[in-house]
Amino acid sequence: MADFDEAARKLTIKLVYYGPAMSGKTTNLMRLHDLLSPDLKGEIMTLETQNDRTLFFDVLPLGFRTSSGMLVKLKLYTVPGQVAHDATRKAVLSRADGVVFVADSQRTQGVNNSESFQNLEDNAYRVGLDFETLPLVVQFNKRDLPNILSEEEIRERWSAAPWPLMMASALAGRGVRETFMRLLEVTYPVLDRNFLLHKDHDMDARAFIAAVAGG
Amino acid sequence: METRCRGYDSALSLRELLSGIPPDKLSSVLALLLGGPARIISADGAWVMGNVLPLAGKVEKWPLVYDLEVTGYLEAVADGAKGQAAASMLELILLSGARYYMASELHLEVVKTDYEELQRRHAALQESEARYRSLAESLEERVNEQVSTIESAHRCLYQAEKLASVGQLAAGVAHEINNPIGFIRSNLGTALSYLQKIQSMSQQIKSSGNVELLNIWQSADLDFVLEDFVSLLQESMEGADRVARIVADLKDFSNVDRAAEEVVDLNECIRSACNVAANQVSSHADLKLELGVLPLLRCRAGHLSQVFLNLLLNAAQAMKERGEICIRSSVADGQIVIRFIDTGCGIPDEIIHRIFDPFFTTRDVGEGTGLGLTVSRDIVVSHGGHIEVDSKAGAGTTFSVYLPVNQ
Repeated sequence: MADFDEAARKLTIKLVYYGPAMSGKTTNLMRLHDLLSPDLKGEIMTLETQNDRTLFFDVLPLGFRTSSGMLVKLKLYTVPGQVAHDATRKAVLSRADGVVFVADSQRTQGVNNSESFQNLEDNAYRVGLDFETLPLVVQFNKRDLPNILSEEEIRERWSAAPWPLMMASALAGRGVRETFMRLLEVTYPVLDRNFLLHKDHDMDARAFIAAVAGG
Repeated sequence: METRCRGYDSALSLRELLSGIPPDKLSSVLALLLGGPARIISADGAWVMGNVLPLAGKVEKWPLVYDLEVTGYLEAVADGAKGQAAASMLELILLSGARYYMASELHLEVVKTDYEELQRRHAALQESEARYRSLAESLEERVNEQVSTIESAHRCLYQAEKLASVGQLAAGVAHEINNPIGFIRSNLGTALSYLQKIQSMSQQIKSSGNVELLNIWQSADLDFVLEDFVSLLQESMEGADRVARIVADLKDFSNVDRAAEEVVDLNECIRSACNVAANQVSSHADLKLELGVLPLLRCRAGHLSQVFLNLLLNAAQAMKERGEICIRSSVADGQIVIRFIDTGCGIPDEIIHRIFDPFFTTRDVGEGTGLGLTVSRDIVVSHGGHIEVDSKAGAGTTFSVYLPVNQ
């Protein structure tokens, strides 16, 4: 649930990149830092890493001011993917407004993907998020690697799932921005319902997404 | 702790971000860098660090940005480039403070979750341990139950085998003895009638006056012979009758096939047990029967006969020297009471509570199985009754069998 500070006229939105270890969550964040240019953009803060593996989380702050004068802050977090860090993952996921699930497209990673997705569902339940209505986008990353599932295979396997499927190659910067835009699209209606972005702040979905993307 | 634990992702004030830095040192470093006093104030103008009082002179102000927002200002009387550099350094310090704060908050959250998870697992483990402990406890109970089932099955088997072998023997004896005893008795009767014919002839011989014949008669003492012959035959017939009765009793007693209930007078069962055991008993003790009038009882008579025989034989074996065994039957308060009272060696106090235990015996190996009393008690209990024992070492023992009269 986003945090709205009425006195300071400040809305803080939390978006989380979830997924199995080494699927490219942090890479997504690094690319977004380069690709987006909102009014306000901070540096990626990396809390703790070990051999390039995230131990706590990374966070990228983005922000802009609406014409009504409200400061909208988006904080993009990554979770540590390794199985052992489940408690950290749970803590990072709590109070999330939207989630990108970053899956690894390699054929060998099927089990890890599904276990991690199950873990997302379990943890969402534990931190009190309604998984049925949680804004979620599924990204299949590493499309540039050989021996990956074809897009047709992926779409067939996920045909029964209600979430948008995005293909990406975070290392090359492809699909990263699109995935994020898609997440904003599915997250906006919930935010609008709760904070009347359109009515009180003259900010419809298009304007909201444009403000975050910048440029 | 209460106030601090707001979540690692909550907004932080300037004061919080600087809380890890010794204010004196930072202030003096800033004063040196800027060539004069400096102060840090929050976004709404409140003092945070450095000079408490507003500075005099041409005061410059540089914003301190943290997390996309201006969180405070650096004030000093200094030139722009120096002030900007100091502000940038302060921003780095704020970022570093934020990192520390977030890491520690997250760490606390994780530790708390892990601890809760551990406690949850601990509770689950305790619960499962309790479940296994109760299982283990009931396991012991169930094993004991099985053991007692096996023991009782063993006793039934023992009893059935014993009764079956007695029955077989009885059937064989009945078959083998009944026929010869039948014709022996019949022949003895015929012989007696023949003798009577010879006796009637003696009168004729005596009255015939044939001296020679009379002399032969008298020298052979045929008067005595004939008289004695009759009593010999009569004694033999009595003996044959007794044999026939014993065989019949044996048959009655061993009627194990009739495990089904029948209506009997228990005094008959006692008598037949006495007849069967007569030989073994008579060499040790005098047997006295004081049998009262008993109501007919619906019971498994063969089994109860076995009980009486066991108690009678036990009494006989308890005799160190010749003694007396009295069997007394009566009925009182809806119960038939049959007492076996002996004047034997008695049962020592230290073993009296064990005499009904399976396989407990005081006899030498091979002489007794230690099941006699156990089986007897089982039989009596199965009839709804019980056995009591009263004994005085050296003075004798009384076993009392109580059987409820059927309604």
